[in-house]
Parts: sequence; structure tokens; C-alpha cells
Amino acid sequence: MAEPALKLDKLVKRFGTHAAVDGIDLAVAPGEFVTLLGPSGCGKTTTLNLIAGFLAPDGGHIQLGGRMVENLPPFQRDLGMVFQDYALFPHMTVADNVAFGLKMRKVAKGEISARVAEALALVKLDGFGARRPNQLSGGQRQRVALARALVIRPTMLLLDEPLSNLDLKLREEMRTEISSLQRRLGIATVFVTHDQGEALTMSDRIAVMRDGMIEQIGAPAEIYERPATRFVAGFIGSINMVPAKVDAIEGGAVRLATPAGPARARIDGVSAGAGVTLTVRPERLKLGPGAPADAVAWQARVERVVYTGARLEVQLALADGSSAMAEATNDGSTRFTAGQTTTLWFRPEDAWVIRESA
Amino acid sequence: MIVSSARPRPIVPFLLVALPAAFLLVFFVIPTAFLLSASFIESDGVIMTGVWTTQNYADLLSRPLYQQAILRTFGIGIAVGVVVIVLSYPLAYFLVRTTSPWRGFLIALSLSPLLASVIVRTYGWWVILNREGAINSGLLALGIIDQPLALLPSSMAITIGLSHALLPYGVLTIMASLNGLNPNVERAAMSLGAGRVRTFLTVTLPLTWPGIVGGFLLAFAIAISAYATPAILGGPGTQVMATLIRSFMVQALDWALGSAMGAILLISSIALLLLTSALGGRRA
Amino acid sequence: MNKGPWTLLKVTVAVIYLFILGPILITAAVAFNGTNRSFFPPRGFSLRWWGEAFAPQWVQPLMFSLELAALTAVIATAIGVPLAFAFQRYDFPGKTIVRTITLGPLILPTLVTGIALLQFLTVIGLGRWLGYWALLIGHVIICLPFSVRTIAISLQAMPGSVEQAAANLGAGPLSVLRYVTFPIIMPGIFAGMAFAFIHSFTDINMSLFIAKPGQRPVTVAIMSFLDFGFAPTLAALSILSLLIPLVLIAVLGRFVGIGNFLYQEQGRG
Ligand SMILES: Nc1ncnc2c1ncn2[C@@H]1O[C@H](COP(=O)(O)OP(=O)(O)OP(=O)(O)O)[C@@H](O)[C@H]1O
Ligand SMILES: [Mg+2]
Repeated sequence: MAEPALKLDKLVKRFGTHAAVDGIDLAVAPGEFVTLLGPSGCGKTTTLNLIAGFLAPDGGHIQLGGRMVENLPPFQRDLGMVFQDYALFPHMTVADNVAFGLKMRKVAKGEISARVAEALALVKLDGFGARRPNQLSGGQRQRVALARALVIRPTMLLLDEPLSNLDLKLREEMRTEISSLQRRLGIATVFVTHDQGEALTMSDRIAVMRDGMIEQIGAPAEIYERPATRFVAGFIGSINMVPAKVDAIEGGAVRLATPAGPARARIDGVSAGAGVTLTVRPERLKLGPGAPADAVAWQARVERVVYTGARLEVQLALADGSSAMAEATNDGSTRFTAGQTTTLWFRPEDAWVIRESA
Repeated sequence: MIVSSARPRPIVPFLLVALPAAFLLVFFVIPTAFLLSASFIESDGVIMTGVWTTQNYADLLSRPLYQQAILRTFGIGIAVGVVVIVLSYPLAYFLVRTTSPWRGFLIALSLSPLLASVIVRTYGWWVILNREGAINSGLLALGIIDQPLALLPSSMAITIGLSHALLPYGVLTIMASLNGLNPNVERAAMSLGAGRVRTFLTVTLPLTWPGIVGGFLLAFAIAISAYATPAILGGPGTQVMATLIRSFMVQALDWALGSAMGAILLISSIALLLLTSALGGRRA
Repeated sequence: MNKGPWTLLKVTVAVIYLFILGPILITAAVAFNGTNRSFFPPRGFSLRWWGEAFAPQWVQPLMFSLELAALTAVIATAIGVPLAFAFQRYDFPGKTIVRTITLGPLILPTLVTGIALLQFLTVIGLGRWLGYWALLIGHVIICLPFSVRTIAISLQAMPGSVEQAAANLGAGPLSVLRYVTFPIIMPGIFAGMAFAFIHSFTDINMSLFIAKPGQRPVTVAIMSFLDFGFAPTLAALSILSLLIPLVLIAVLGRFVGIGNFLYQEQGRG
């Protein structure tokens, strides 16, 4: 593989005694779109600020295209950054905002105007050059910020929650727009968000962060379907988690004892007696008859049915009294009523075992 | 604050503040400290003998003329604080709550006296209150009185003049505290059945109490050290600390008493400041 | 909703505005008296007093005040900018102390600051500085808090990310200051300068002690003339000296957009 566009090596940043970034390793391949996803305060912005050079690391290394940059000031790092509040220069026109980076690089005047026009066209803002930032809508500001970051042809793009100030519809529109622009330009990108929807739809890989560390990194499907920890499982989508104990190992699968009943699932490398967590996504839980022979089937009582339009969320009580949730397509074929007792089942390959006890 | 370079440069702030700080040290801090110590030194006119004494304070606090001036100063300060709050609260409340398109103009108008020297503002009161002034000629013309009233010089006139001069400070302080009040708190009270007046008395007023206290103390602090208004609207019988300081320092050339009186003013102001920030701290 | 209390409030507010503006309007009216006494309502009509206000006796202190206030404003801004940057952008040992002594003159009685300066200059043998130089020093001290706070507020109001964005786009620290920071805080700098000017121009408590004949601001000149009576000339002069800050604010408000600062800055008083 070519030299990674960005490589973080045991990066640490402390504020006082609190480590906001606590030993992060991350490599972003050229052209790759990596998302840092995590709850508020987990250190996403701090990581981005370290990469951009606004903060100096207390430990570890940062490489951009194979070059160590920890000691380079931000203005020599050649990164395009889009800030959460866009940080447009209020005293300059849109065109001057976009031209700023080129002026700092002493690009020739004629070339500047050509490249500014090109960048504005790229973000579909032709003709807006003479406006001031305060004469633009939120979505337009966001595009100016993007154009301003891209026009300098940076080695990579850093985006700090660029969509969080937009309303829902615009946010979804900009999602697609940013991803397709990024793919077209083939520019390596680190994108920060706490919105799992954005992370799942836009990224090549997602790094889930918690307390200054990367908890798991992988493709969206891997993060969603094979979460490494209970935290990752719980942070992305909804999930049923049942504490379990490994009873016996049978080939590629294990037999588990859970308070809700016995279960089987696929997992390697655990020994009998280990405490683990059995997880099943609600959309993989089925209710009623029709379970194949190898399915895990438990008794459950319907507590409540929540109608969400296209889907029904069925809240259940398991044998031990703990609760679970199943999600069914609202195709008109299924009817559940609160209080009814039913069979809950899932195929072992739809379950995922996390090597952490509850 | 994130600095714009990866490396900290601790020398920069010192370069920025060194010169201004030295200037303030020489011409503000040292003179003020000097004044405080001079108030404990015996002096003959403007020449200090260098002998430590508390006689200056004893003189100030024992002679009836000075005693009365000190009491009058604080009395006027309290009265001014009360008048400023009573007048500025309704005005501030109106300015914060009104939806009138003139709001900006009305705010500017209520603060505009700050642009005028206190002399300009006091002059108008002299015109209104003197023997041949607007009030006396009005009352005489209406036949309510047949002899002009002696409205000047008086502590009352000084109080009115100072209240007028300091009103903008009250308006600003109370507006700030009303602005900090979430309007939904008032709406909640009203939705629970309290009328406008009840809501005001039970919710708004208590929640803006810190602003009221702050405005009062600010007006009080400025009033006790004001010179021009007492000098114009008062007379020999209504001396206050500021006018006495002026005569000690410039006419009688008794710098020892002037320093001591100045020190009393200074310490009162610092005490008020500490009181204000203690009350403000409780609010936060 | 019950509108009664609101109407009552509006009436009260109207009366309060009358109280605020009355004395100033009355002073203006008095300056048109036909007689040489300050009657209100004015008796007769004459522009004589306005003419007299332009006699050298008054133009000289007026010009002196203008010059003093302008110079004070420039110096207070020149040292206020670095102070505001230091307070807003850096942590350094002694910061609290330096900030306290910078803002102190705002809170301590100006009169006391004035007599302290008078006494100090006299005792160290710089009594000959009384008048122009002492006034300049004293006015810079009492006006500095206005420029420092106004500039600090505009620095604080500027999102830090704007400077980061500039650095990220390749601007070195000096370019960031020149192309981004200064242009954005320029209205704040001008507003601070205007406040310093107005505070100096309207001051009496400091000037009272350290002015000397021939080097007196207009407020001190009016004050000492009041001892001889309240001539309508003084009313005219008062109004003239009120117009100067008013014009300044109007001009600056128009060209630099400092309008918001008047409220913000004073709001923290
Ligand atoms: N300048 C600072 N000084 C002290 N602590 C800081 C500073 N900046 C961030 N922190 C702390 O570091 C931690 C990580 O902050 P960071 O801004 O990186 O979080 P984040 O993941 O971006 O959160 P959000 O999603 O809310 O933006 C937080 O606990 C925060 O309080
Ligand atoms: Mg963040």
C-alpha cells in the first residue's frame, strides 16, 4: 500500500491531568474517508485540532504523507479544514474568503480568480462571489467553507461536525454532496461527527471513540454487525444485549447459558465458563411461529407496541423479566397486542457475541 | 483559548503588558498608595513632616462640620441609590420587554446623558431649581405660592441632580439583569395563573434582585465621590466629602486632611466593590 | 391579556424620559434668553450667547479639551490594544494584578486618583508637569479601562475558529493579525477610542485638581466661571460641548458600525 495520507501514532493530549486524547493510533489511506464517531467530549475535536496543528500533542507522532509534522505550525501543514461554525471571514466577500488561502500562498492573481471560480462552481455557488457571509443561508455558508478548504488543493480534508448546524433535510442533502465530492476529488478525509447516521452512510471506515481512545475501527457494516465492545454496540443503532456464560464449545459455535434461556452463537477463541455478552439487533429478532430447527427460541411476553410508521417496535419481557426489543416491518401481516405471550427467535448467525461480561 | 501556533511563547504577554503596566505603576498605583500613607503622616500645609499619626482621621471624625459632611455624603449616596433604582427599574423593564420598532432609539436616548459632561446635566437643574427658575416661576404664575421657594442650595437638590446624572448606570445594570432572565420563566408563571403584576412581584423582581443591588451600589459609589453636582447645587451649608477634599487640597492647602478624606472615600469605594462582587458571586 | 399595567408602565416611562431629557432641553432653551440671566422659560430671544460662547475665552478651553481628549484617546488605544490582547489571549503570572490595576481607575473614585496624582507629582518635584502633561497622564489612566474593555470584548466576540481557519489556509501569525484579526476587531478599536475620547472630554473630577490656568479643559473652565453666576453663555457652551461627543458617535456609528458597542460596553459598567 502507498504511504498513508495521515498516520497517528500513540497520540496523546492532556488538559491538566485529564487526557482528552489518550493514545490514538490511526492510519488514513490516500483517498479514504474516515469518520471519528463518539459521544460529546470523547476527544474528536481535540484529535482534529492536533492534526491541524492548533494544539501541540503531549505525546506521540503525526505524519502527513509520510512526513512528521508535530513541529510544523498550522499554516505550513497544507490541510483543508471545515469548522463546525464554518469560521468564514465576516469582513470578506465569498470570493475573498475562498481566495484567502491562495493569496497566502502567493498564487498569481489571474490564477487565483480562475481557481476561485472553479471552486465555487464545484460547490454549486457560481455567481455568489460578491456576497458577504451574512447574506448566505446556512447551507450556502457551509459550501463556501468547503470551497475555501478545497481550493488550496490540500493534502487532506478535515471536517469537524460540518453538518450539525443545518436542518435535517439540508443535512441529508449535504451528506450526499460531500461524499460524492470527496470521492470525485479522491481526497483523504477525516470527518468528525456524533451522528451515527452520517457516519454509517458517508464513511469508508469509522473509528468509534470513547474517553480519548479509539474503541474500534472498521467499515460501517463491520462496526454495525460485529461491534467489538458493548460500548460500540450500544452507541450505534439499538441492540439487545443479554449477559451470557459459555457453556460448551461445539465446532465454530458455542452453547451459551443466559437468564432468558439457552442460546447458540458463532464465536472463536473463547473457553468454556467465560462471561460474554450475547447481542442481537432488533431487526434480526423474529416473533411467532416459523423458527427453523437450528434457531434459538425463547418465550417472551409483549409489553408494548410502538408504532413508528414503516416499522413496529415491539417491546418484550423475557423469561427473567429483563426487556428486549424486536422490530418488524409494518407489512400488515403481523398483529401484536400487549400482554400476549409469544415465541421470540433468531438464527445463531444473526447473533453476535462480545467478549465482555455485563 | 487555542494559540495559533503549536509552540507556546511565554515571552509575548510580558512584552505586551510591560510598558502599560510600568506606566500605571508609576502614575496610578504608587500615587494611590502614597495618598493612603500620607493620610497617616503629619503635615504642615503641603509639606509633610514625616511623623506618623492618626491625628488626621481624629480631626476629620471629631469636628462637627466634617462629621456632618461625611454623614451627608453617605445620606445623599443612599437617597440617590434609591431614586436611581426606583426610576430606572420601570424604564429598564420597558426597554427590555417592548417590541416597539423604536426600541433601539429609546435605549440610546435613555443612555444619551452619558455623552454629556455632568456639568451640562447639572446646569439644567440649576435653571429649574433656582429662585427665579422654572419651578418657582411656574408656581408663582399659577398662584400656588407668593414667595419663591428656596430650593437651592440643598441636599435635596444635590440628590435630584445626582440621581439624574446616574440614572443611565441604573438602567444599564437592571437591563443587563432583566436580559439575563429567561422570559419563559415569566410565561410559565403566567400560564400557572399569575397575572402580570403578580408575576412581576413574585418572579421577575426577586430574580432581578442582584441587578437592583448592583445598580444601587454603583450609583451610591459614584454619588459619594461626585464633585460637580454638589458644588453647583449645594452651598457652604451642604458640604460633602468631595467638596471638602477640593477645599483642603486647593484652597486650605491642608493635604493631610485632604489625603485622609480621600482615603476614606477610597476605602468606602473598595468596600462597596467587594460587597458588590460578593453579592454578584452569590448570584452566579 | 390584561393590558392595563402595561399602559401604566408606558405612562411612567414617558415621565421618566421627561426627567432624563428635560434638564438638557431646558439648558438648550436658556441659551436663547434675551436677558443676561438664565431664565426658563427664556425671556425674549437672542443668539448673543451663542456668539459669546465662541469668544476666545471659551474657544481656547474647548480646543484644549478637544486636543486633550483626542490625544488621550489615541494613547489609551495604543496601549489598550496590547493590554487587551494579553488579557484575552494569554495566561501569564501576575495577570490578575495587571488587569486589576488597569481596570481599577474605573471603580475607584476619579477624584481620589486625581488628588493622588497631584500630591505625587508635587512631592517628587514634578509640580511643573501640572497642567498639560499631568492632565494627559491622568486622563490616559482613567480612560484606559474603556479602550481595554471594549477591545477585549470585540476580541472575545470573534470566534477563535476564524483565526484557526486563516492559519489552516496558510497564514502565518502576522498575516492572521493583519488580514483577519485586526479587520474584524477594528470597529471595537474605534469604539474604544470613542469611549476614551468621550470620557476624557466630559471629565471634571480628574481635571479639577491638575489643570492650571491657561491649560484648562472646558469643563473646568465652566465650573470655575459658575462661581460668578449662571450666565446663558454657559448654557450655550454646555450645549456645544454636548454636541461634540454626539457628532463623534453619530459619525463613527455611520462609518464604522460601533453602534452595538455603546450598549455592550456601558452595560458592563
Ligand atoms: N482547551 C481545553 N481545555 C481544557 N479541556 C479541554 C479543552 N478542550 C477540550 N477539553 C476537554 O477535552 C475533552 C475532549 O474535548 P473535545 O472537544 O475533543 O470533545 P468532542 O469529542 O469534540 O466533543 P463534542 O462532540 O461535544 O464536540 C472534553 O472533556 C473537554 O472538556
Ligand atoms: Mg467537538
